[in-house]
Amino acid sequence: MSVIRHFVKKEFRQVFRDKQMLRMLLIVPIVQLIVLGNAINLDVKHVRLAIFDHDHSEVSRDLLSRFRSSDYFDIILADQSKLSALMDRGKIDISVVIPEGFARDLGSGSTAKAQLIVDAQNSNLAGIATGYVNGVFGSFQEDFRNRMLEKNPDIKSKIHSVEVVSRVFYNPEMNTYFATIPGIAVLLLTIITTLINALNIVREKEIGTLEQLMVTPISKFQFVMGKSLPFAILGYIELAIALAVGMLWFKIPFAGSFLLLAFSAALFLMTTLGAGLLVSTVAQTQQQALFTAWFFLVFCIIMSGFLTPIENMPTALQYLTYLDPLRYMIKVTRGIFLKGSTFFDLKYELAAMAIYGTAMFALAIFRFRKSTT
Amino acid sequence: MNAVIEDSNIVVETHDLTRKFGKFVAVDKLNIAVKRGEIFGFLGANGAGKTTAIRMLCGLLEPTSGTGTVAGFDIVKQAERIKSRIGYMSQKFSLYNDLKVEENLEFYGGVYGLDSRALKQHIHETLERMNLQHVRTKMTAELPLGWKQKLALGAALMHNPDIIFLDEATGGVDPVARRDFWDMIHDLAAHGKTIFVTTHYMDEAEYCHKISIMHQSRVLIQGKVGDLKVQTGMKTVEELFKHVVTQGDSA
Repeated sequence: MSVIRHFVKKEFRQVFRDKQMLRMLLIVPIVQLIVLGNAINLDVKHVRLAIFDHDHSEVSRDLLSRFRSSDYFDIILADQSKLSALMDRGKIDISVVIPEGFARDLGSGSTAKAQLIVDAQNSNLAGIATGYVNGVFGSFQEDFRNRMLEKNPDIKSKIHSVEVVSRVFYNPEMNTYFATIPGIAVLLLTIITTLINALNIVREKEIGTLEQLMVTPISKFQFVMGKSLPFAILGYIELAIALAVGMLWFKIPFAGSFLLLAFSAALFLMTTLGAGLLVSTVAQTQQQALFTAWFFLVFCIIMSGFLTPIENMPTALQYLTYLDPLRYMIKVTRGIFLKGSTFFDLKYELAAMAIYGTAMFALAIFRFRKSTT
Repeated sequence: MNAVIEDSNIVVETHDLTRKFGKFVAVDKLNIAVKRGEIFGFLGANGAGKTTAIRMLCGLLEPTSGTGTVAGFDIVKQAERIKSRIGYMSQKFSLYNDLKVEENLEFYGGVYGLDSRALKQHIHETLERMNLQHVRTKMTAELPLGWKQKLALGAALMHNPDIIFLDEATGGVDPVARRDFWDMIHDLAAHGKTIFVTTHYMDEAEYCHKISIMHQSRVLIQGKVGDLKVQTGMKTVEELFKHVVTQGDSA
C-alpha cells in the first residue's frame, strides 16, 4: 500500500508543478464546457423559410403571420420565379407555396392544398423543419375548424377533431443544454483520463524512468494502481468542475445522488484508465500513443449516441454501440442528473460498465510486462 | 587488495547466455562468473552487446537461450526476487527532472518498500555520502550532469543492494566528476558490494578488478586486469583492448 502511496505523491507533485498541464486540466474543460455547451445545439432554429402566397386572402395572410411569429423560422420573401435559383444557392432551407384559391377550397369544405419544397441535403434538418411546418399547419387548421364551428354549430357532428396534448418530462422547457452538458462532461472525462494515463506512461518510457522502475521489485498491480489512482482522483476533480459549470452556469438542476454518480464514475474510470494503460503497452512513443488512443476515443464518441441518435444507425451498428462504454456512462450521467435515476433504474448500464471496467483493467494488467521478451 | 575480494562466493554467473533479435545475435554464448566484492568491467565498443547482457542479468530482457544466476536466483524464473537485491543505473539519466533531489530519493526508496523511518534515514545518508545535502531541495533538472549521475547512483543504492549494475554510468560526465564517481565505486566494493560496470572508457577499465572484453556479441578474453596484461605483454588496458580486438577481427 505504501508503494502506491508514494506513486500518488510523486504523480501529484509532477502534475501540480507543471503549470501548463494544470491549466490544461483545470481551465480548458471549463472553457470547453461553456463554448461547446452553447455550440452543440441539437435543436433546429432559424430555418430559412420562403413563403409564396398566390392566394392573397385573409386566410393565407393569417397563415403567413403564424410562420412569422414562430421562433423557428426566418422568413424570406421572394418572387417564385427565383425559387429554384435560391434553393440552388442554398439560401433557402424550405419553402411553402400557397396556391390561388386556397381560402376558397378551405371554406367550401374540399381539401385545400399547399406545397412544401425542402432542401434535404441535411436530412436531419429537413425532417425537423418539415415537422415544424406541419405543426404550424396543424394549429392553423385546428383554429380554422373552431372558427367554422362557432359560425355553424350544426356541422359539429361532421367534424372529428383529435387534439393531442403532449407533456414533456424531465426537461420541461426542452432545454438542449440539459442533454448536451452531461454528455460533454462525460466526453471530456473520457478524453482526459484515457490520454493522460497513456501519455504519462509512454513519456516515462521515452525518458527512461520506466526502465528504472521495471528493475525495482514493484509488482504489476502496484504499478498499475500507482499510475491509475492519481489520475482517477484527477478525473473526479474534472467531473466536479463539469458539475459545477453545468449547475452554476447553465443552471441545470441536479436531480439525483452525487454518491451514485461518483460510483458510476469509478466504474467508468476503470475503463478509460485501463484503456490508456493498454495503449501504453503497445505504444513506444507519445506520438504513437496519441494516435492509438485517439482511434479508441473517436469510436467511443461517435458510437455513444451523443451526437447522432443510436436509433438512426443501421441495425448491425446499433449492436456495436453496446461495446461502447461511453454509451452507458452518458445514459447514466443524464439519468442521475436530470431524472434522479436510482441504482436500480440503472442496474443494466451499471452492470455493463462494471464488466467493461474490470475486463479492461484486467487486460491492461495482463498485457503489461516488466521485462521484454 | 581488500580481504573481501578473496571471498570465493560467486554472485553473478552465466552459462552460454544468448540473446537474439530476429536473426541478429546480440549476445552470443556469454559465460561469466563474478565474485562478491569484485568490480567487474564489461568492455567493448558501442553495439558490442554489453547493454543487452546487463539487461538480461537485471531481468529487463528475457534470454533466448542459456542460463544465468544473480545473487543465487535464476534470471528467468526468479527475476523479481533478483530485483530487490540489485541496484541498476543506466547510461540514460533515469531520475525525474521535475522532482526535487530529495523527492527522487524518497520516491525510489518508497518504491523499494522502505518504511518512513528507514526512508528518512536513507535519504539523509545518501545525500551525505554523495555530497548533495546543499542541493536537496533543488530541482533535479537544475543540477549539472555529474551531480545528476551521483544522485542516480544514490537512488540506485537507497535499498542497500548487494550487487550494483552500472551501464555506461559515466557517459558524458567530466573527468573530475568521473574520478569522484569511481572513488565511490571503490568504496562500495570495499564494503562488500559487487559492482558490474560496462564502459568504453579504457582508463576506467584500469580501476576494475576483472574485465571481460566484448566484441561483436562475443567475449574475446576475460580475467584479472593484471593477469591479462602479463599474458599479452601489454602495458595498459587500452593497448590490451586494441590488441585483442585486432586479433579477434583477423581470426
